[in-house]
Amino acid sequence: MSDNTSLKMDEPNETKEQSLETQQLIVFRQGTEEYGLHIDQIKEVVLTPNITKMPQTPNYVKGVANIRGNIIGIIDLEEKFGIKEATTTDRANKENNYTLVVESDEFKVGILVTEVPNTLSVSSADMEHSINIVHDHNVNSEYIQAIVKLKDRLIILIDIFKVLNEQELETVTSNTVGAG
Amino acid sequence: MKSKDQEYKEIFLAEALENHEELNRLLTLLEKKSDDTKSVNAIFRITHTLKGNAAGMGFQNVADFAHVLEDFFGEVRDGNLALDDAIFTNLFKAVDVLGALINAIKDDGKVQFRGIKTKLEVLLKSVRQETASTKKEDKPIENKTARSATKPKQKPAKKVSKARRPAADLKSEKKSVPDHHAKMVEEGENTQEAPDTKMTFSDLVQVPVRKLDNLLNLVGELVIERDRIIAVNAGNMDSNEYARLNRVSSDLQYSVMDVRLVQVGFLFNKFHRVARDAASLEGKKVSLNLKGTDTEIDRNILQIISDSLIHLIRNAVGHGIETPDERKKAGKPEEGRIVLSAFSESDAVIIEIKDDGTGIDAAAVRDKAIKKGLISAEDARQMSDNDAILMIFEPGFSTMDQVTSISGRGVGMDVVKKALDSIGGNVSVHAELGKGTTFSLRLPSSMAVKGTLLFELGAETYAIPLAYTEAVVSLYKPDLHKVSNGLVATYLDKTISVVFLQDLFALKNWESVYQDKVLHRSFDDLDPQKKLDIIIVSYNGRTIGFVVDKLLQQKEIVEKPLMKPMDRVKIISGVTIMGNGHVCLVFNVAAICNMIFTKNFSSKNMMSYQ
Repeated sequence: MSDNTSLKMDEPNETKEQSLETQQLIVFRQGTEEYGLHIDQIKEVVLTPNITKMPQTPNYVKGVANIRGNIIGIIDLEEKFGIKEATTTDRANKENNYTLVVESDEFKVGILVTEVPNTLSVSSADMEHSINIVHDHNVNSEYIQAIVKLKDRLIILIDIFKVLNEQELETVTSNTVGAG
Repeated sequence: MKSKDQEYKEIFLAEALENHEELNRLLTLLEKKSDDTKSVNAIFRITHTLKGNAAGMGFQNVADFAHVLEDFFGEVRDGNLALDDAIFTNLFKAVDVLGALINAIKDDGKVQFRGIKTKLEVLLKSVRQETASTKKEDKPIENKTARSATKPKQKPAKKVSKARRPAADLKSEKKSVPDHHAKMVEEGENTQEAPDTKMTFSDLVQVPVRKLDNLLNLVGELVIERDRIIAVNAGNMDSNEYARLNRVSSDLQYSVMDVRLVQVGFLFNKFHRVARDAASLEGKKVSLNLKGTDTEIDRNILQIISDSLIHLIRNAVGHGIETPDERKKAGKPEEGRIVLSAFSESDAVIIEIKDDGTGIDAAAVRDKAIKKGLISAEDARQMSDNDAILMIFEPGFSTMDQVTSISGRGVGMDVVKKALDSIGGNVSVHAELGKGTTFSLRLPSSMAVKGTLLFELGAETYAIPLAYTEAVVSLYKPDLHKVSNGLVATYLDKTISVVFLQDLFALKNWESVYQDKVLHRSFDDLDPQKKLDIIIVSYNGRTIGFVVDKLLQQKEIVEKPLMKPMDRVKIISGVTIMGNGHVCLVFNVAAICNMIFTKNFSSKNMMSYQ
């Protein structure tokens, strides 16, 4: 244990993901790729409740739903990442079976997933942090934290709060705030 | 509903009993450690407070008694009086009697207190005499006042007779009774019956608002759950099955709401100072009158509007009331009058701020509104004066050109409006030039339950607060007319603008409203035979009709706020959960009207005034 801590200390400017501990991830499929989130960002996984469409929100915001008495915004990451074509809330209600509830001090949101997410322990040695991805300028890739490489799998580890904090969500909703 | 006096009395009693407890505790401490100056000081302070409070409430017995105790401990504090066991016995008895006196206020009982009081007074007197004349001998002075003939106290006791008589008694006693070495113990019994030592508890419980909020939330959820269960089982159950559940939960809900009610007087009383300060800054003379201070309102609502009320009062002083010279010229009394009144009207509370100042110059407001680009000149002409005055609530409007320290700091009346919008309240203004202005705020008396009208749009159900809805009408396509970029219809001989809500909701953002024919889309596809359900709402003097797909029913809902980041969608004020567990969005009429009228739409196409 003390070895580990000293190791961490010896690496300047590195986040804790860099240490050689294993980390618990929640892995879920979006399109054909696998995405991962740190387990401590996830509050729970529930069957997707009925989603109510919210006017004047970006299309990937499917609406709001009642999860244990909390009214939570539901987001379709596949749509946000451009993995699939835009759908309607109606279809989202029919198609997506599970909702990952993500929580921070700031807010709570639900992410739609089609299959039950799995947990996975990965060693930080399998994580690749410095990645250069070719992407078009519309996509902000900052939220990609690392790529986890296992034998035959590749998991994209994302920082969900970076995804949600993006300017985009701010501006789209603030359009409607303008006059208020 | 309790009268104000009774409520104050209850509060006094609660405090007094608390003080009494504390006295008991401190006295016990002091007995063990008689040189504890901290305790002595504390007792002195408490008796002093108690005296003041009791005198303020008119409980002269308690006040007098506390006064004696206060004096007594004043001497102890100054070192003129040393405490010994005998004195403690008396002191404890005195505190017991004080407690009995306090309790007697509650049940109007009679307590014999003269004996012990006189005893203390005699003690005091001798101490004072001694310290005055001879250099004091450090010996406790005891006194004998074995007057078994203590008269039962008279109620209601007059201040004068009461204050005098013990003193008279005392004098005669002083002569007959030797100053020193009287035996305290023996006369303890015959002066009065042994005090009742049963524990007393205050009838008031102090509860943090946070706990009440939580309770109200839980009750809200309970009601939602009840509705859900009833809705689910509606088909296969006798409708009476849930009558009891319904009643009990409703009673519970209203009880919790009732607990949260406070009298507006608690807030209103603070405004004397606000008005005074504002007036002295402006060099004006103002008197503030309060009316209906016992009107009850939810504590949180009162908190939310408190700043608005301060603003309105300052405004009344700063803009409404004229300087004494001007007032004299206008033939008014030098002192301006502001009346702050509150009264209940069905389930709303109306608060009025009325001043007898200059009133509001509607023409000036019009000019200013035109200059600031808030409305067009033609519209301004068509507006009635009172409607024009409502423009002062628009963001960025302030009539005073120069900034004073009191009002006109740029934070205008729109702050008031915003606070009201957030709780579903309303404001109206009635102003007569040269005679005065009346602002009338209409507030819900409770935040918990909102009367709403449910309607369907697309596949979703929405709720719109009844506070803003004027009427519901059915029209057909031929009743609507395209006027420029918008649509109009006639309602009660007035021309109002009509908007298809689905057109608004389909917009990605408000800028796109400028695109041609955006608001005609649904209209163009309309079948002339189709009946249109239109909800007519009015907000800040403007009337607009919203076309919805289908009207459902009226329903009392418990509104929950949206969580981040969804709370940025301002046209939705919150949500409620329906019987089937689905989320129903609550329409924010204020925000949507603000958006439509203030900013993005050209006023000519969209606005309509009565």
